[in-house]
Amino acid sequence: MSFKRFDKQNFIIDTAKKYAAGRMSKRDFLKKMGIAGVGFSAYNAGMLGGKGRPFFGNMAHAQENTTPPEVAEFLREAGKPFAGTTIRYTSEATPPTNVLNELKSEFTELTGINVEIEIVPLEQVLAKATQDVQGQLGTYDIYYLDQAWTSTFSPDTYDPVEYYDTKPDLAMPGFDFDDFSKPLVEGICEYDGKWIGLPFDIPIFTLMYRKDILEKHGIEVPRTYEDFTKAVEMITAAEKENNIFGTGLQAKSGHYSLECDWSQAVWGHGGSIFGADKNFSGNDEAGVAGLEWYQNLLKNAPAASVTSTWDGQWQMGAAGQIALCQSWAEFFPGWNADDSEVKGLWEMAKPLEGSATLRSRDDVGFGEIPGWGHQGGSSIALSRYSKNPEAAWLFLQWACSKDVMTRCTLIGGFAPMRNSSFSDPRIVERKNLEGSGTTRHLDTVKWTIDNVMASEPDLAIWAGVANNEIPTELGKLLTGQDYDGSAKKCMDQVAKLVDAVVDEADLG
Amino acid sequence: MKKRSVLPRWLTSEHPLPWLFPVTALLIVFGLYPVLYSLWLSFFKRNPATRKEKFMPSWNWEKLLSDDRVWDAVQITFTYALLALSIQLIVGLAIALLLDTDRKGFGILRALMTLPLVVPPAVTGMMFLLMYDSSFGVISNSLYALNLLSPSAPILGTGSTALWGVIIADVWQWTPFMVLIMLAGLRALPREPFEAASIDGASGLQSFIYLTLPMMSKIIALAVLIRGIDLFRIFDYVKVMTDSGPGTATETLTAYAGTVYFKTANFPYASTVALATLILVLVTASIFIKVFKVRF
Amino acid sequence: MSALIKTWLRYLVAMVVVGIFIFPIAWFALTSIKPISAVFNKDRVVVFDFEPTFDNYKVTVLGGLKSDNQGSSNILMGTSGEGAYDGRGSIVSSLVIAICSTFLATSISLLAAYALSRLSFRGAQGYMQWILSQRFLPPIAIIIPLVFIFRDLGLRDTHLGIIIAHTLINIPIALLILKSFFDDVPIEVDQAAMIDGATRFQCFYMVVLPMIKGGIAATAVLCFIFSWTEFLLSLFLTNSIRTVPVKITTFVTSTGSEWGYISALGTAAIIPGFIFILLVQNHLVRGLTMGAIKD
Repeated sequence: MSFKRFDKQNFIIDTAKKYAAGRMSKRDFLKKMGIAGVGFSAYNAGMLGGKGRPFFGNMAHAQENTTPPEVAEFLREAGKPFAGTTIRYTSEATPPTNVLNELKSEFTELTGINVEIEIVPLEQVLAKATQDVQGQLGTYDIYYLDQAWTSTFSPDTYDPVEYYDTKPDLAMPGFDFDDFSKPLVEGICEYDGKWIGLPFDIPIFTLMYRKDILEKHGIEVPRTYEDFTKAVEMITAAEKENNIFGTGLQAKSGHYSLECDWSQAVWGHGGSIFGADKNFSGNDEAGVAGLEWYQNLLKNAPAASVTSTWDGQWQMGAAGQIALCQSWAEFFPGWNADDSEVKGLWEMAKPLEGSATLRSRDDVGFGEIPGWGHQGGSSIALSRYSKNPEAAWLFLQWACSKDVMTRCTLIGGFAPMRNSSFSDPRIVERKNLEGSGTTRHLDTVKWTIDNVMASEPDLAIWAGVANNEIPTELGKLLTGQDYDGSAKKCMDQVAKLVDAVVDEADLG
Repeated sequence: MKKRSVLPRWLTSEHPLPWLFPVTALLIVFGLYPVLYSLWLSFFKRNPATRKEKFMPSWNWEKLLSDDRVWDAVQITFTYALLALSIQLIVGLAIALLLDTDRKGFGILRALMTLPLVVPPAVTGMMFLLMYDSSFGVISNSLYALNLLSPSAPILGTGSTALWGVIIADVWQWTPFMVLIMLAGLRALPREPFEAASIDGASGLQSFIYLTLPMMSKIIALAVLIRGIDLFRIFDYVKVMTDSGPGTATETLTAYAGTVYFKTANFPYASTVALATLILVLVTASIFIKVFKVRF
Repeated sequence: MSALIKTWLRYLVAMVVVGIFIFPIAWFALTSIKPISAVFNKDRVVVFDFEPTFDNYKVTVLGGLKSDNQGSSNILMGTSGEGAYDGRGSIVSSLVIAICSTFLATSISLLAAYALSRLSFRGAQGYMQWILSQRFLPPIAIIIPLVFIFRDLGLRDTHLGIIIAHTLINIPIALLILKSFFDDVPIEVDQAAMIDGATRFQCFYMVVLPMIKGGIAATAVLCFIFSWTEFLLSLFLTNSIRTVPVKITTFVTSTGSEWGYISALGTAAIIPGFIFILLVQNHLVRGLTMGAIKD
């Protein structure tokens, strides 16, 4: 058979799509590719586009099941008594979760345990988890817990390390708890000396920039908060007519995303959320300076910022609307997907640093860790109210096992939880990619995690306050509903509200 | 011939008890009891850290009265209700007058007019979300073209316009309700007074003001009552379109109760806010019924 | 102005007004058959010049897979997982719930309405006022206890639970409407039947009930519509069961809203209500005012 060049390309693309969508076996795929005269190495196979969704650049690669044989054997054995059960949990649509959702059929094949993942926005995850623990309903076997909720939900989960030790029959060989990155464990799932769950994903603030736009205007990659402001103002002034802004923000009122931006602004100016006296300290000089810096940025950002969470912010970047973005490193792979308008144009740098100095950990309350890179990681945890804890435990181990986590990173390009994944050759070789599956940013992410990761305070009422009081009042300020644009007034009111909540819980 | 009954009097079908029993039972168990339970819950102070609750009857109620957000919510609820109600009343009456004729074709128009009533309010919220979108929404774009709105101030994202955005959705959905009721009222009006008035030389407008309106007053009062109460209870539009935002510009009392419930899990306080809504509704309704002597 | 011009003007204005009210629904339905490029077009608002696609309906109403849908936006992530956009389960759930709660509410309200209409007893007025106050009850006031009560009764996340909740909301309306229809039937009818030897119940069931068939139909339709469109209770009381309004809102994520699916399922959700309400135009007013205004 011979094709005209155009037909051949279409044939290849169609076949590849079908394969990536799982509608063709690998053998057929290779056969058809052979007909089209295309030779293959595993590397090339990874280049083919997937379902056209940003984080699925390399589903073809994922089809290669590289589960180590002893793990597979273990799962088959351990899963036997639980075959046929269904476990469920609810989670945010973060890239690792989406990838896991696609891979989970492998787990089901090995153990016979079905897994249902309900994917909803983060605030709904919180609402459902809250309802579940309040009534001890056991609707969910596993909780996806954002790091801000760790202490709130600490009474409701099993310590995985303990569970592993006390249930040797269900302990996966080679699981290796020490392989998890220590800062991640501390920041995401440790509370009161115990592990609340297993670390699962790590969105963390880094600085991302459009190298083409910066080059065009002769701007250097900003290093400090002041540089950032200058760069943003310059770009917005120059490019506003083209609907391009210096930066975009995730400033939706009443949403946790706004609280994240705000806390980073506060830390970046040498402030903190709580002082050592356990009172709210966002209204001190440094805190107010941070908020004012943020207000200024908002003037140079697309109007949609005030109704955007991180996903709206991601879309601004994907649509080419912004040039600089200090936000979740998880954005990066999606911006570099094969069908992205801005593929290969974004680069990542370390998060902004200075010119202020960080407040020391001794001067803050509730275990807060001021830093330059706000982390928003999550863990997955075993619920104490689950009706199928053993089956769920098997799934948890599988999902956080070395191989699965590495493959998730391969597919989605986001930061792994395990040190072994960072150094896995498959990941290292992707550093030169421009498009889907690139890992060129992972070094920066790892550096940020290991050196400048910042964490929010650990206290039981934090989940409520970070999702309700703080971002609502901030929203009122930023949309001009109240406070007349005065950051100080807003922060004073927040101080009043937060201190009241802390007092009500007898924590202050 | 009447058979002698062997059942006690209160169990026969002559006594209302067996007839009313199912309804009453259901309403008591799932209607009255929850309200009392809510009240009971509101007397406890909950510590979110320890998850323990202590009996402190006045804690939540004091908190309610000193909670700025509650007062803002009450204000927004009233503003919303009054604005929406007035518009629906006036526009509803106007449209009813327009469609109140036996001419051909108007029957179809009247039937079409009732369609917005069956759209699930949550879906209505979606429809308007789509049309208000700042980039590609048809309403937004039309307003840009007319220079009435700027792309930097999305309708639902700007404090001053967000509430209007929600009110418009409500008006769209429920004006037909008013239209229907007004139509029924207009059709029931007797002809004679109007004939007499026109013989006496009264203009259309005068007939309207001095005859139509007073004769329709009972109906108007009823429509206002039903719609008004429903306006105090709205939840769907706010939740779907703005989620109380931006800031708290569209936070009605019911929306705030929902927020307290979902975001803080402080069930006693959430119950308190919810009960406040109930109290507000009942008080307003009672006053209205007494003043305007509405009968069922 | 001549009478003819006035007439035509009236027609015109009426059509414009009704058109304005129909517009959002029409736009929504139009959106459901637009490909993504026509919906998200940054340059202009696309009205009619696009190629219609029924993919959105295939996914939400007929259970197709999202990955097959060429119309789906590939910039947005939306919700992943199989069946996330499959509305069939919701449609079935909503249907079951609406039919059952309608049946329940109508039947037990018939009994109560008859008693209130025929058997005068002390406290009848007070009872009516209590029922009326239930109509004004904001669902939010009872939702938290309901969650706990349902949990204790094992009704959480069950169809039966929502059916009960919807029945609860529908009873005041049904009861008052039906009473007003019963009131229309002269009491002499009952008396004649009972003289002929019928018991009270037989009188109710075999004589009076058939006479208000139209009213029962109207009541049932209204109950159905209220249940079908109900949102708040369904949101709070379920997790895995999703009625149609709740399901549609899950398509709006902070990741991005799949407008194609939203508008398709939404349009599909409007259709039953449309059909029904056109069937009961005659009794609509009495229904909406709970019997206070007769048609």
